[in-house]
Amino acid sequence: MNCREAVEHLYEYLDKELTPQVEREVRQHLEDCQPCLEQFDFEDAFLKFLQARCRGRCAPPELKRRILHELFGE
Amino acid sequence: MTEPTTPGTPTPVDDRRESFEREALVHLDTLYRVALRLTGNAADADDLVQETMLKAYRAWHQYQQGTNAKGWLLTILRHAFINEYRRRTRHPETVDVDAIEPFAVFEDLQEEDPQGRFFDQIVDDEVLRAIDELPEQFREAIVLSDVEGMSYEEVARILSVPIGTVKSRLFRARRLLQAKLYDYAVGMGYIKGSRA
Ligand SMILES: [Zn+2]
Repeated sequence: MNCREAVEHLYEYLDKELTPQVEREVRQHLEDCQPCLEQFDFEDAFLKFLQARCRGRCAPPELKRRILHELFGE
Repeated sequence: MTEPTTPGTPTPVDDRRESFEREALVHLDTLYRVALRLTGNAADADDLVQETMLKAYRAWHQYQQGTNAKGWLLTILRHAFINEYRRRTRHPETVDVDAIEPFAVFEDLQEEDPQGRFFDQIVDDEVLRAIDELPEQFREAIVLSDVEGMSYEEVARILSVPIGTVKSRLFRARRLLQAKLYDYAVGMGYIKGSRA
């Protein structure tokens, strides 16, 4: 696998959506290719950052009470 | 009049309620986060989630227990949003999302910040604001995949589009979001950057 092919699979690789065969080929390429590895790490850091920043919000307790009341009359 | 039931004997209503609480209500936070990003404000998000739960409870007999309740609920939520809220809360899309040329932030920062440390300096509200500025098709792809961690297949099912469309939207959505956060970080002086 060359650099262009590896980068084409970048997000599918990070999202764990590749077949085991292709995933192995990408991993192999990253072991041998520092520039691609840096780019993959950068994108990986971005995706982890996104999730960390956005997962914090929870539904307000008042909303849960409203829903329980509406559904079960409590 | 219904027969009084012996305490301790589960009635069908108890069963229904119990399974709904166990399989559906546990996804309340996910529904709320997605609703917030779709509607763009807390009051509408509250109403949208409440309506979704109500519709889901009424249709609970159609749901196959043990299958993907989160996806099922999100599909209901999205339809409710499209039918009842979108016209009211957001302007119709004027952007041709396919024409958006993705900018590769990494290429620009390869020298200055190849590890993307500048992301750490950007606070929650700024990220959420940047997501809210994305075209709706990008916003929903990002929220379902990156925030809620759903698979391409699940996202494709919820959005009723092919998996290939999910992939390409995610690609462009992520790049566009990166570019927005990059511009913000340059503006704040977190990074120098060199984008003209
Ligand atoms: Zn390479």
